[in-house]
Amino acid sequence: MWIEIAHFSTLIALLLAGVLLVAPLAGLRWQQVVWIRVGRQAAFFACGLLTLASAGLILSFLNHDFSVKYVAEHASLKLPIFYLATAMWGGHEGSLLLWAWLLSLFIAIAAWRHWQTHPVSMPWVLSISGGLLLGFLLLVVFLSSPFERLMNPPFDGRDLNPLLQDPGMVFHPPFLYMGYVGFAIPYAFAMAALITAQGDSEWILATRRWTLFSWAMLTIGIVFGAYWAYYELGWGGYWAWDPVENASFMPWLTGLAFLHSVMVQERRRMFRTWNLFLIITTFALSLLGTFLVRSGVLSSVHAFATDPGRGVYILIFMAALLLFSFGLLTSRADLLKETPKLESGLSREFSFLINNLFLVAGACTVLLGTLYPLAVETLSTAKVSVGAPYYNKVFIPIMLGMLLLMGVGPIIPWQRSSWTRLRQEFLPALLLGILGAAVAPLIGITHPSGAIAFGLILFVSSTHLKDVLHNIRIRMQRDSLSAPGALWRLIGRNKRRYGGLFVHLGTLVTVAGFVGSGLFQEERDLFMSVGDSMQIGSWNLTLESIGKTARRNWQADEAVIRAERVGAEPIHLTPQKRVYNEHSQPTTEAAIYSTWREDLYVVLGDGVKEGVWAFRVYRNPLISWVWVGSTLMVIGVFWAMLQGRRAARSQD
Amino acid sequence: MSISLNRRIFMIITLILVAGSLGFLVLSSFTGALVYFHTPTEALAKNQELTGKKIRIGGMVQTGSLAKESGTLKIRFLVTDGKAQIPVRYEGMVPDLFREGQGVVVEGTWRAGEDFLADTILAKHSEDYVPVEMNEQGIAKSKESLLKSLK
Repeated sequence: MWIEIAHFSTLIALLLAGVLLVAPLAGLRWQQVVWIRVGRQAAFFACGLLTLASAGLILSFLNHDFSVKYVAEHASLKLPIFYLATAMWGGHEGSLLLWAWLLSLFIAIAAWRHWQTHPVSMPWVLSISGGLLLGFLLLVVFLSSPFERLMNPPFDGRDLNPLLQDPGMVFHPPFLYMGYVGFAIPYAFAMAALITAQGDSEWILATRRWTLFSWAMLTIGIVFGAYWAYYELGWGGYWAWDPVENASFMPWLTGLAFLHSVMVQERRRMFRTWNLFLIITTFALSLLGTFLVRSGVLSSVHAFATDPGRGVYILIFMAALLLFSFGLLTSRADLLKETPKLESGLSREFSFLINNLFLVAGACTVLLGTLYPLAVETLSTAKVSVGAPYYNKVFIPIMLGMLLLMGVGPIIPWQRSSWTRLRQEFLPALLLGILGAAVAPLIGITHPSGAIAFGLILFVSSTHLKDVLHNIRIRMQRDSLSAPGALWRLIGRNKRRYGGLFVHLGTLVTVAGFVGSGLFQEERDLFMSVGDSMQIGSWNLTLESIGKTARRNWQADEAVIRAERVGAEPIHLTPQKRVYNEHSQPTTEAAIYSTWREDLYVVLGDGVKEGVWAFRVYRNPLISWVWVGSTLMVIGVFWAMLQGRRAARSQD
Repeated sequence: MSISLNRRIFMIITLILVAGSLGFLVLSSFTGALVYFHTPTEALAKNQELTGKKIRIGGMVQTGSLAKESGTLKIRFLVTDGKAQIPVRYEGMVPDLFREGQGVVVEGTWRAGEDFLADTILAKHSEDYVPVEMNEQGIAKSKESLLKSLK
């Protein structure tokens, strides 16, 4: 019943997407504002209908309607209600519906918020986003329908993949998609600006919050994914350079480049073509991310479906998008010619340019490593994989370079500076950084990259701190405020700048986490029987017992391990090996004890003989810093989003 | 406004240096990083040329071949593609999905005439979804579709 409603609303939404594509253009062609209004209304109705469609699919899950193929494949009677409600995006078809729903929602918000402020570009924004929505709904309706019925409904469903029955995995896809889809709006505005040849940098001001929002969502999505991999997959790490992780990392990198380089356009009217290139690339990579994950071409845990039809469709869709966007960009090249030239290498805009080079090189690295194996497989019979060592080799220097630039970029003046001034500004911080890197091995950071990262973290924090203190002092004198009052006013008045600096702070914390967990992880494989002990780091682990435990839809072997450390209360860890009812394969549930200093991570292996079990124990230093740091980053972005655009122009 | 020649040269040289070293970094890391995938038959056929190279071998864990050395985490088993088989040794915890009669991909350095000493066993896919590397049909399909779309 609900599924029919969902199906019909999607079909009508498909028609409305067509209207959204055509009506505004017709309105422009025949000078009829009413047609543009029709397009706008179509956007609202499409959003409403797709909301209904998604609700219908979710209700079918909640009602255990196994006559729906998608429900039968991704749920079971025993699946807890939380996972039932979110199983909508547990597979390919529902995920694409979620994509389309989010897109319609964002289009409706854009049509609502920007209608008054951007009358010239609005018809084009509506039409372009209508084209995108149409493209996605065609895919949902004809090639990947979650509404398909089964002639003989099974009594019970096949259940959701146990690995996906985890809160981290529940929130990972929607956030990722919000990020992906969010870039569609700046993209549509950019294209509209190119077509109407109006407004110059207006599209950037208009979409600043959209871009920040999308990037923040992408960050949250990626971190949820990493967190899930860490908690659920039981291999002690959180990032494996899996093609699916890569797929979300590429738009993140180019989106980050875009966030920085638009500042240059806003301030100095430079990089106009480059920014258009970046937003097109970022949105195209978002689509590529969807394509890679949802077409099944990759050998990866996430590739749920193997159906080439969808893949081909998305490839054609992407090709059309790229041809349209870059074709438009080249045909409008004359508009973009007159830009001010870079005046000096010692300027903020130049440091942003280098920052962009690093980020784009990073994106190319990932693109090469992800697509090359596919190309080899397609063009020859050989199969090849590109392992983590490649990415680590490239990304460690890139990360270190980015850190150095991060210390310089926000401080160095726009337009031009001099060596003398730079020396005053940066020399103490630089010396501190070098000293830090030299001392690092003495405090346990024995790895060279780790030592350099440590020095750079000191460098960046001191340049940032110096800047903030300097501004606090000025405020204190000018407005006769106390130090905290001055800081508060500073942060409140210029949310963009201080939001950005806060993101940098979060980045430093995250990088510290990368260094600690990436370079100093300890790993031990061993056997224990009840009563045995082992030592890792400062911890002493004793196996107290092994037994069985069960919940509604799984049963497990569970070990109870007492972990002790001098000067602390003993804690208990209970790693499990679970078998979910509908599945024969066991899944490991790692037991994790997390402190700010390190994580203790215990995985239960197989029983090797009577009473003897295999264990894998990790000590992951500073890993919680990754989660904390990325949270700070997101908070910083949201803070920056709070600032309206007028204030943005008048203040530095 | 004219920009002084010195400053322009400084900018250009910096850009070239940065872009060049980034490009070099990416490409030089890339060439060494490729790990080729072989079936047991292929690996035995290319015995000599593979020696000393890091490769992946994929096939099934032959039923009845899995032997555990009691009291250690050492295991040995045969990886087979139905025609040829390769003895593999491994020490450590195996993934959840590793078992006899199931697909597996092992990674390690090939030494001609010796047992294959795996440093990684890949089998992290759940039972519903075989690794694509293991699924010939899936590969043929995705290849077809990619070729079609490239035409």
